[in-house]
Amino acid sequence: MMQAASTMPAQAAAVALDVKNVARHFGGLVALRDVSFTVREGEVMGLIGPNGAGKSTLFEIISGNMPPTKGSVSYFGEDCTNAPAYMRRRSGMCRTFQKVRLFESMTVEQNIRVAASQCLPEGRNAHDEVASILSQFRLEAQAQRRPSELTLADRKRVEIGRAIAGHCRLLMLDESMSGLTHDEANHLITEILALNRTRGITVIVVEHVLSVLAAMVNRLVVLHNATVIADGTPTQVANDPVVIEAYLGTKQKALK
Amino acid sequence: MNTSAPSMTASQDNGGQTRALLFALLPVAAVAILPLLPFVNDYIIAATVRALIFISLGQAWNVVAGIGGLLSLGHGVFLGLGCYTTGILFNHYGIPPWIGVWAGAGMAAIFALVMGSMTLRMRGVFFALATVAMSLAMVQLTRHFVDLTGGSDGLALKFNGNSWWAMQARTPMPFLYGGLVLVIVFYAITRWILGSKLGLEMQAVRDDETAAAAAGVSVFRTKLTGLMLSAVMTAVAGTLYMQFYMAIDPDAAFGLSQAIQLQLPALLGGLGTAWGPIVGGALMIFLSEVTNLGATKLEINGLDILVYGIMLLFVVLRAPKGIVGFFMDRRRGR
Ligand SMILES: Nc1ncnc2c1ncn2[C@@H]1O[C@H](COP(=O)(O)OP(=O)(O)OP(=O)(O)O)[C@@H](O)[C@H]1O
Ligand SMILES: [Mg+2]
Repeated sequence: MMQAASTMPAQAAAVALDVKNVARHFGGLVALRDVSFTVREGEVMGLIGPNGAGKSTLFEIISGNMPPTKGSVSYFGEDCTNAPAYMRRRSGMCRTFQKVRLFESMTVEQNIRVAASQCLPEGRNAHDEVASILSQFRLEAQAQRRPSELTLADRKRVEIGRAIAGHCRLLMLDESMSGLTHDEANHLITEILALNRTRGITVIVVEHVLSVLAAMVNRLVVLHNATVIADGTPTQVANDPVVIEAYLGTKQKALK
Repeated sequence: MNTSAPSMTASQDNGGQTRALLFALLPVAAVAILPLLPFVNDYIIAATVRALIFISLGQAWNVVAGIGGLLSLGHGVFLGLGCYTTGILFNHYGIPPWIGVWAGAGMAAIFALVMGSMTLRMRGVFFALATVAMSLAMVQLTRHFVDLTGGSDGLALKFNGNSWWAMQARTPMPFLYGGLVLVIVFYAITRWILGSKLGLEMQAVRDDETAAAAAGVSVFRTKLTGLMLSAVMTAVAGTLYMQFYMAIDPDAAFGLSQAIQLQLPALLGGLGTAWGPIVGGALMIFLSEVTNLGATKLEINGLDILVYGIMLLFVVLRAPKGIVGFFMDRRRGR
């Protein structure tokens, strides 16, 4: 199932992800209300919003960890609302977690190998795939270390490496830059953009602050109080009066 | 920490592996030549057989609980299936245990498949509880089918004297070698699992189910495969148990103290390691023999269970990764 349609006309990029009227309630709490947006193949999209806006919940639903209360999710034209998380991952829908979740008893190499051996296309072998990921993220020296011996920045890079190993078409990153130094964050942004450019991976990045994303994304969706309040280019969004009013306070503050 | 670590381990690898092999062959040789030693009598050989049996049962439990992280408290069910199946086939139908062992393994696999399908989607605590419930149900079942199982009195194998065909012997010596082979085979299986794709998946699921699914691992299928593998191993060890002890009853198979004895080797020795159940099982039987001697002298019943409790407490508090884990951490300098 869920094999992506590769027969799209070359000029119009395929719709990688289509989120339709998604709602999620936790008891009386409404975490998401009628959220809709689409992401086209090859895009780097930012998803921002204050604490508790529902960003992580949205990732949980898209990746299949949690069913939506209402609405549907399509991935490359196929409805995957009821597909289990591991099937979505095998069809190339990849993600990281806000709080890094690695297999702590395993080495860095094994962490990546687990994912690589699940969803390799025909003819590729897991060993080569792991080696290529390790070298891409310059983790060779850490390959035999346990995650607990790594810096936060390296832990995040291992998690991204594990997320894309094997087969990746859509990568969802939940606050990958938070907790990193300015240099580490810039470095990571470069690596993520390289994935987008060289492997053609579509990227959705969740962050709190616009400033981190402005230079990185070509599109921004703003989530506020469980719903989408703006969707457009970074410049459009930064100048949107609703966004300035509701979330950013002032435009100056936002772009700082 | 140690920046030169990678190059050092690389150059030491060969010597380290040779040393590990020697280290592994030593206990094997010790058990193999045991009957030749002057001070060794049948009592010591029988105690060693008991150790080998509980090591192999511990190795089986280690697969599901240690590598897979599934707390099965009811593994006595699979021990019982191995014992009762071989015993019933032999007593009632004259089928030798050489065939009965595979029937028992098949029963355990089917039972694990059914039980796993019903419980493995639940959260860990509920799975653990379900395994306890399953043990209790098995006690009732054995009592119900009293003609086949002997009910509460248990099932005693018809004795054939020394017989290869019936896998029976008047002395414990043949079981020493049978047990040794089983432990070596289970050790090899454990090592194979740890290095295989399945083993990596099981460890990933143990560490973090959500992250495992996000890495493309089918959590349910992985758990089910691990449970079935462990169940089959337990039932095979169960056949050896049956041939050595010559009898089984509901309490010996499904009772609480048996459940503890199935778990202690891996817990003491080190969960999820290939050596853990071997070290832990040997220690458990050694201590239980010593305390049993003491208990008969002092006329205290159930002293071994008390000692098990103290051992478990010690491990949980001082060496939560077990004896093997404790030394592995020290060698790594942590
Ligand atoms: N499993 C859950 N059970 C109950 N409430 C939840 C659960 N997960 C999230 N919530 C609630 O849903 C709302 C949205 O949470 P979510 O984590 O999606 O926000 P977020 O935008 O990712 O915030 P942050 O920037 O802090 O990560 C919050 O009010 C949160 O408390
Ligand atoms: Mg969040």
